[in-house]
Amino acid sequence: MIDLSVLSATEIRDGIAGKRFSAREVADAAFARVEALEPSIHAFNQLTPELAEAAADRVDAMVAAGDELPPLAGVPAAIKDNMNLVGTRTTCSSKILASYESVYDCTAVRRLLDAGALPVGKCNLDEFAFGSSTENSAFGVTHNPWDTDRVPGGSSGGSAAAVAAGMATVSLGSDTGGSIRQPGALTGTVAMKPTYGRVSRYGCVAFASSLDQIGPFAHNVRDAALVLNAIAGKDEMDATSVTETVPDFTATLNDGVKGLRVGIVRDMLELEGLDPGIKASVEAAAARYAALGAEVGDVDIPAARHGLSAYYIIGPAEASSNLARFDGIRYGYRVDDATDVLDLYMRSRAEGFGPESIRRIMLGTYALSAGYYDAYYGQAQKARTLIIEDFAKAFESYDVLLTPTSPEVAFKIGEKSTDPLAMYLSDVFTIPLNLAGLPGVSMPCGLSEGLPIGLQVIGRHFDEATMLRAAAALEADLALDMTPSMARGGLDG
Amino acid sequence: MAISESDVRHVALLARLALTDGQVSSLQTELNSILGHIDELQGLDLADVQPTAHALEVTNSMRPDVVKPCLSRELALRNAPEAEGGAFVIPAMAGAGEDV
Amino acid sequence: MAKDRLSEVLERYEAVIGLEIHTELTSLKSKMFCGCPVEFGGEPNTRVCPVCLGLPGALPVPNEAAVEATVLAGLAVNCDIALWSQFHRKQYFYPDMPKDYQISQYDLPFCSGGHLDVEVDGDAVFQRVDRDSEEEYTARIGITRIHLEEDTGKMIHVGGAEGRISGAEKSLVDFNRAGTPLMELVSEPDIRTPEEARRFAQKLRLIMLTLGVSDCSMEEGSMRVDGNISIRLRGEIELGTKSEIKNMNSFKALHDALAYEIVRQADLMDVGERVVQETRHWDVGAKRTSMLRSKEEAHDYRYFPEPDMVPFAFTEEWVESIAQRVPELPDAKRERFMGTWDLPKYDAVVLTSDLAMAGFFEAAVAQTGPARAKSVANTMINDFSAHLNAEGIGVDESPVKPSMLAELVVLVDDGTISGKQAKEVFSAMVKTGEAPAVIVEARNMRQVSDTSAIEAVVDAIIAANPDEVASYRGGKIGLVGWFVGQVMREMRGQGNPKVVNEVLRRKLG
Ligand SMILES: [Mg+2]
Ligand SMILES: [Zn+2]
Repeated sequence: MIDLSVLSATEIRDGIAGKRFSAREVADAAFARVEALEPSIHAFNQLTPELAEAAADRVDAMVAAGDELPPLAGVPAAIKDNMNLVGTRTTCSSKILASYESVYDCTAVRRLLDAGALPVGKCNLDEFAFGSSTENSAFGVTHNPWDTDRVPGGSSGGSAAAVAAGMATVSLGSDTGGSIRQPGALTGTVAMKPTYGRVSRYGCVAFASSLDQIGPFAHNVRDAALVLNAIAGKDEMDATSVTETVPDFTATLNDGVKGLRVGIVRDMLELEGLDPGIKASVEAAAARYAALGAEVGDVDIPAARHGLSAYYIIGPAEASSNLARFDGIRYGYRVDDATDVLDLYMRSRAEGFGPESIRRIMLGTYALSAGYYDAYYGQAQKARTLIIEDFAKAFESYDVLLTPTSPEVAFKIGEKSTDPLAMYLSDVFTIPLNLAGLPGVSMPCGLSEGLPIGLQVIGRHFDEATMLRAAAALEADLALDMTPSMARGGLDG
Repeated sequence: MAISESDVRHVALLARLALTDGQVSSLQTELNSILGHIDELQGLDLADVQPTAHALEVTNSMRPDVVKPCLSRELALRNAPEAEGGAFVIPAMAGAGEDV
Repeated sequence: MAKDRLSEVLERYEAVIGLEIHTELTSLKSKMFCGCPVEFGGEPNTRVCPVCLGLPGALPVPNEAAVEATVLAGLAVNCDIALWSQFHRKQYFYPDMPKDYQISQYDLPFCSGGHLDVEVDGDAVFQRVDRDSEEEYTARIGITRIHLEEDTGKMIHVGGAEGRISGAEKSLVDFNRAGTPLMELVSEPDIRTPEEARRFAQKLRLIMLTLGVSDCSMEEGSMRVDGNISIRLRGEIELGTKSEIKNMNSFKALHDALAYEIVRQADLMDVGERVVQETRHWDVGAKRTSMLRSKEEAHDYRYFPEPDMVPFAFTEEWVESIAQRVPELPDAKRERFMGTWDLPKYDAVVLTSDLAMAGFFEAAVAQTGPARAKSVANTMINDFSAHLNAEGIGVDESPVKPSMLAELVVLVDDGTISGKQAKEVFSAMVKTGEAPAVIVEARNMRQVSDTSAIEAVVDAIIAANPDEVASYRGGKIGLVGWFVGQVMREMRGQGNPKVVNEVLRRKLG
């Protein structure tokens, strides 16, 4: 059987095009790995073998017909369960949507599948993407393939774990404050949040509309770039998606970093609570950039220290509004003994939402309520302005910026689940990018006590190409093997 | 700014969440803890700073006035908790709120 | 409610009225934020999509034509157009509102600071007891703002009385209307009488119809007027407590509901009771308002900028390009009718108060020539309007076309038929839809103006009635009318009355 732990997206496509194996065999290999690993990982809320096989058959038919294959032909792909796909349930890992059936497709998912990918299933997440550990799910915890006692990060923990375990070659996550990059760091995958507006949000159940962005997980930078190629670009269904031209993000990956100006965000690196192993690893990465010919220097983003506060107002405020529609009228959980509509609203929502959702809805509703708007939401929006300005200033001197992705490596399941604030700190390095709309990619840059460390490479607005080029250069230089031991080999193969 | 128990109850009503007394009390503690962290923003002098609602300077994103296909009624009602004669069914309206 | 009671109340109290007028942009093809068609009625939930149903993950994209229509409307009522504006979310839970927030505008609406001049004449002038003149007057009503938002769905309440909420066991929700582009105009509280309110709403409707943005049907709810009203003792500056009146589904309802409310509030204040701030419902059948809900629980809409959309940045040039599209408005049209054809103001007002009437008039005059404009106006205001009223139809539904009415006017004017015959021709025209000339021909109604033919008849009548001739010659000259009648009867009404008169007077001597 095909060993999916070693094949890149391009190798899969080329293997199918060269008739070394069929797309159907790739699908079978993916589901064989799912069968072997999923019981100990629980990356998926729902598996979609019928959809994957139908997609594989279409690819194989193209091969038989001698047609040119699309770029992700036959590539097993997992999808975060907050993105709609007809033929699946879209649950957001919430009781309130436990039986919700999609009646239309998320644009990014549609584009990924139109590029030939095989949908393996819908991945677990923190309910409505509220969390950094994938423990806040109505359907159980997802485990980290590097150590199943540990979390995979979150909220896109299922998408991260599925790729890390090789159950999917690539996956889609959504990132509102770090929900792609942080689990990417904790699972040793390449995980990217594109520039806000680069990828359509249509069909991805909104958390915080001004912060959300869909992006890929992959085993390597090139595969991530291929996915971005497939999903990026203006969508007439999303008014915030932009008309900016979409380059071929793979075209410049091998151009190296000679002369590239790489800034270490020094004040973030001095943050209290940052794992020393991670700090050292990021410093080492910076040194490698210098060795590769980049101009490396320090820069500060002082306003970023207000990022967490601003985020925990803006995010919940928008979420409280976006989650109002889950009211038991048109879809979703409804108590069956409501005496009137108010009773129906109050109890359906209280019973349907999990504790973290309720916490964020409450926080956001409070921050927007009469008398508090200026003090909270208004002030947070202004802090947001400062963060944008600080990044703009840093990008006058540097082409890309470096920070750790997460202040710590994968933590134990249950370790932070009783302390919301400690959990919120997981995203301290990733949040400022969402507030500023900037692209960022987390890539593995080493191990600390056997667990992956993530480096965050930050690019200018719409300059994912330079960001990915920098990441690819370091990836080639470090040449790390980031396959967790449980996922090695062809398994039964 | 500390949030009181009655604040919690008021906000829960605005958000249409029927909380138990236990939830009210634990949320009061948790929200105050989170707000305690967030309150650092109150100390910033941002009087001269413009608020940002959208991180990117994009404007005038609109669509032409063109009709597109609707959902079939079967799909529109696919996830309805209760439907009748092509409409969504809800219980009595008493106390539901207001209109436009 | 006695009219005198209103007058009596208005002697002592001044009403302060502001209107909120929602107008659906029914002329658009698609909804505000999605591609579903804008139509009225239909099977429930057949014009919905993920966006207007508020399905998880769906996003709104604003309809460019709706934005343009709102700016067009703003320019037509003298508003300033904001060069920077955006949508906000107005948040409250309601079953007919799919997202449980309404995408609307808050502190950055498209249009603000406009006004409309409202002419008040006739008996309604007396509602303004503070004016010492009985002449018609013009009131300038400020327009605070016009913003754009999305309409809600509709509910049918089952099991209660008359489809009302109270007493219903359950409700059925239909989202076909949800997401229909809805323009909300808010007036300043500059309105002082129910009649001013009615005229304001009527004029606004005429402007919207002229702009072609809406069918403004109050029955179908595409134009909905709510009123805020309070009263204060004359001479006082401080505003009283206001009530908000809903369900005023016609201009008459608007007038009557406000008149009722003025008296109701005065009745309370007269006995020292407090007016309570609340929303009241106009019951057309009972001719009274009743409490819909108390405003005691203050609203907290938690407005914030709609993050699913980007702001609007308009240039002066763009606004100017929309301004170019504002057609001739009712006031200008009325002035033109007076100036071009020398019509009296009354005629011009009547003809321009309805788009189709005005169009009909212009088409007819184009055929008769400007010299006969007044005759065309007379025929339209009298016979044509009476016919439309009798049939209960609109101008476009009448079998009488402008060319027919023009032809009729010319036939009278050139003496082919008499004015009296014209009435008969008009009635025939309404019934058969035939052209006047055809009717005149078929009924042999051509007027006889030939003097010798008339003289022959007159001679015969004089010879046959010696007593009457003697009386006439003895001074009862009023008998001439009787003679005319005799001649006309003999001529089956076809004698030219002018010639008949002239011949009779000469022969009777
Ligand atoms: Mg409104
Ligand atoms: Zn729609």
